[in-house]
Amino acid sequence: MGYFKGIFQALGSLLTGLKVTFKEFFTKKITEQYPENRAVLKMNDRFCGELTMPHDEDGNNRCIACGLCQMACPNGSIRITSETVQDPQTGKSRKRLVKYEYDLGSCMFCHLCVNACPHDAIRFSTNFEHAVFTRSKLVKTLNK
Amino acid sequence: MFDFGIVTNWIHTQLTSLMPEALAIFIECVIIGVCLLLLYVVIAIIMIYMERKVCAAFQCRLGPVRVGPWGSIQVICDVFKMLTKEIITVRHSDKFLYNLAPYLVIIASVTAFACIPISRGMEILDFNVGVLFFMAASSIGIIGILLAGWSSNNKFSLIGAMRSGAQMISYELSVGLSILTIVVLTDTMQFSEIVMRQADGWFIFKGHIPAVIAFIIYLIAGNAEVNRGPFDLPEAESELTAGYHTEYSGMHFGLFYVAEFVNLFIISSIAATIFLGGWMPLHIPGLDGFNAVMDAIPGFIWFFAKAFFIVWLLMWIKWTFPRLRIDQILTLEWKYLVPIGLVNLLLMVIVVVFKLHF
Amino acid sequence: MEKDLKNRLAALDAVWSEEGDGLYKVPSSSLRKTAEFLRNEAGFDFLRSLTGMDWGEEGLGCVYHLENTATGENVVIASADKDRENASLPSVHDLWKGANLNEREAYDFFGIKFIGHPDLRRLFLRDDWKGYPMRKDYDPATNPLNMENEPQEEDSISYEMTPSGDYILKRHPLFEEDEYVINIGPQHPATHGVLRFRVSLEGETIKKIDPHCGYIHRGIEKLCETSTYPQTLGFTDRLDYLGAMQNRHALCMCIEKALGLEVSERIQYIRTIMDELQRIDSHLLFIACLCQDMGALEVFFLGFRDREKVLDILEQTTGGRLIQTYNTIGGVQADIHPEFVRKVKEFIVYMRSKINEYHEIFTWNVIARKRLIGTGVLSREDAISFGATGGTGRASGWACDVRKRHPYAMYGKVDFKEITFTEGDCFARYMVRIKEIEESLKIIEQLIDNIPEGEYQMKVKPLIKLPEGRWYSAVEGSRGEFGVFIESHGDKYPYRVKFRSTGLPLVSCVDTIARNAKIADLIAIGGTLDYVIPDIDR
Repeated sequence: MGYFKGIFQALGSLLTGLKVTFKEFFTKKITEQYPENRAVLKMNDRFCGELTMPHDEDGNNRCIACGLCQMACPNGSIRITSETVQDPQTGKSRKRLVKYEYDLGSCMFCHLCVNACPHDAIRFSTNFEHAVFTRSKLVKTLNK
Repeated sequence: MFDFGIVTNWIHTQLTSLMPEALAIFIECVIIGVCLLLLYVVIAIIMIYMERKVCAAFQCRLGPVRVGPWGSIQVICDVFKMLTKEIITVRHSDKFLYNLAPYLVIIASVTAFACIPISRGMEILDFNVGVLFFMAASSIGIIGILLAGWSSNNKFSLIGAMRSGAQMISYELSVGLSILTIVVLTDTMQFSEIVMRQADGWFIFKGHIPAVIAFIIYLIAGNAEVNRGPFDLPEAESELTAGYHTEYSGMHFGLFYVAEFVNLFIISSIAATIFLGGWMPLHIPGLDGFNAVMDAIPGFIWFFAKAFFIVWLLMWIKWTFPRLRIDQILTLEWKYLVPIGLVNLLLMVIVVVFKLHF
Repeated sequence: MEKDLKNRLAALDAVWSEEGDGLYKVPSSSLRKTAEFLRNEAGFDFLRSLTGMDWGEEGLGCVYHLENTATGENVVIASADKDRENASLPSVHDLWKGANLNEREAYDFFGIKFIGHPDLRRLFLRDDWKGYPMRKDYDPATNPLNMENEPQEEDSISYEMTPSGDYILKRHPLFEEDEYVINIGPQHPATHGVLRFRVSLEGETIKKIDPHCGYIHRGIEKLCETSTYPQTLGFTDRLDYLGAMQNRHALCMCIEKALGLEVSERIQYIRTIMDELQRIDSHLLFIACLCQDMGALEVFFLGFRDREKVLDILEQTTGGRLIQTYNTIGGVQADIHPEFVRKVKEFIVYMRSKINEYHEIFTWNVIARKRLIGTGVLSREDAISFGATGGTGRASGWACDVRKRHPYAMYGKVDFKEITFTEGDCFARYMVRIKEIEESLKIIEQLIDNIPEGEYQMKVKPLIKLPEGRWYSAVEGSRGEFGVFIESHGDKYPYRVKFRSTGLPLVSCVDTIARNAKIADLIAIGGTLDYVIPDIDR
């Protein structure tokens, strides 16, 4: 008797499973049509895609070339070239940023540079389309 | 119902009026062969496309959508891709058997495919022991799979081939038993005759309880015989990477792939033929208007609709259940399907002897 | 009891050392006796962590973290051998089975020979590696990039010591000549990464399994030794990538403990919620992958569909999906997103409605049950001995949840059940996870409405230096106890960081539980043990 009971129980469990998939067959699909939906695709504003240095309308950034981000970076992804210039008004010499190089290829998005920056000169942007053909293109100059 | 035999007879008379009969028959054979292969390829492409779309729909996704409208040209592109790929021969493999295996599988599949009655008068191989011939032809495929696994010189392939050997030979028995149940009911082994006898009602209705049981057993065993999930052990992806065809590439792999899908279609169409009336339309006694409308639909549409419905049923099953283990597969066959099938056969005999069927 | 233990250990020449958490220093000559005493008489049956160490002048040695599972008592012992050329310690693999692979790891990185160990091959590195990379005097130039194929060690090696102090090297073949050995991995659909099993088969039946690790070993522990404390945090997300939150939580907790830093209640709440969300994420992936391995592809997509909801919530607050970079020393990277609370509440409702779907399609399915029930049985004793924590241990009836054993963050104050089963088979391991999703939802539900106001980042000095000492803290990761051991010599860099892998004990018990099973069972066992390879390889 257990033999037949087993068969019916087994068939019952299989039918329950089939019921789930049958429902699934007619529910709305969840596929994201990525390249087509680019226009309406909205990233979360905190998503970290790559490091950027915001510039105001005049093309000025807030970097003072202090090098804290470069020191905080565990991978050496940031390289800052700076020069010392004399302020024409006060006559004091101060550092000025020449080139801010950032290697996206070795960045691990640990936020240490952003946390270290005393002037909020750098932050992460939501851009996520990074594909390029050579690694060297991943090294970006952030200041303008 | 339109008889396709009129067309073939007309062609035959036309040809024999122009040339000697032997040559005419030869030309007819060539034409039919070409048509058969074309139909085979078309069915394969439709099946692969259907598999992708159906399994996608079950899995809350869309499936191919990019190439062509609704991704309809995707499969054709894939066929071309497969054709351009290199056929790699593995070192230390048994070259002759390794190259022979996919052709054995495809020959078995095409021969079995030729047995299917698509519409009235549209049968290619149709003789009085058609069922036996079909069973014999389709089982050649097992040899191909065993050879593929053996000659690949790959341990995964070998395990896959051994699994499929054990599995397919076992399940052949249940397929045979359930077909035999219907043969008892019809007292003929000719496919066209089996269809003709269903003019006044499909066998699944006429044979009631034993026919329904045979139908279920046939679906399970047929599914197992074409190595489809949940019985896809020979190629169990997560266990044996790809099973017996691990080492095949290019069109050699393509042949296995196509044969698998068409075999699924063959199993479904045989189920449609012997249980669901083949190309016979659905008739409900008493509703003459309804029956007339049903009769207006051509036979081959009835046939394909039924066959693809069963294909869909089997896909539904495949994409729902987890895979069985080898010992469970054999337990299911030898402890459940075979005894039930035998008792069912007996039941059908009693039904026929005492005229309990409709 | 503690006093008693102290006296007994003192009788075995153990010296108490106060720094940090404190530990007993045991001379190598009496290590074996001490270990036997602790295991057999004092009942310390769970080896939480075994850490290889290079103490420079003091020699090479190991730190053993032990726990008595009956009383919850903990003890730490350390032992060193001054002879750097031929450092050796007695093996404890027969006392705690989990020590087997851990000692191989210590041998691999420090070159400590464990006398009496049956199979002292390298665990992670190539067999032709020169030198021992975690030693402080190791020169990376001795091993330039090697593009040759790796020669494969066919024998297992053991060392024995003669009374005169010489070593005898013995070789034992791993497999017989005529055994049918197949490779499952490193490229295999069901090993969830690059783990390799060499499996000896007889037909479909498994006779022996030899696991090979190290295909993605990145030397994170070594990297940590040259990173400042904030820099070490980034590595934890890349260990067990399905437990990024919890791993980082453990490291932050350990550093905060060493600094004596108390974090605000708000941070504790956020961390707890995040840990539980991560656990749900991991368990959903577990179900998805297990079902995929077993051929039920449908459930794979269901799992991923629901996991997407968790990831969306996490991404909104942390900015990352897999690599979260959220916890920091003394806080979290950013305050929770304004929509966080609402979304989490929506998710709780959604997830509760979906769990039944998994039951219907998989849990109750006759094929799934037939394949999972009774396969791969791990007994409670073995689970403790191997140190197989997490869902695996709980499925075997061992209440090993760190959240209950050593409550941290908010876990002491919320009400939740520790799910345990007694069967220890694959099905129990599966059920533990699916039930834990419900428990996690319960925990989140209790916390989400009451997140107190407060700062999300405590004031921390820009340059973090830990006082001298050793600390160990552990969290309940997605798949077991994830521990962090830090030894500091007062620098801004840690002297040694050890991550207690959650997956290594799970891999070490595969051979035991998969013997005489079928190949298909191995896949189910691997799926239910739920190891993540980057966590094993570190």
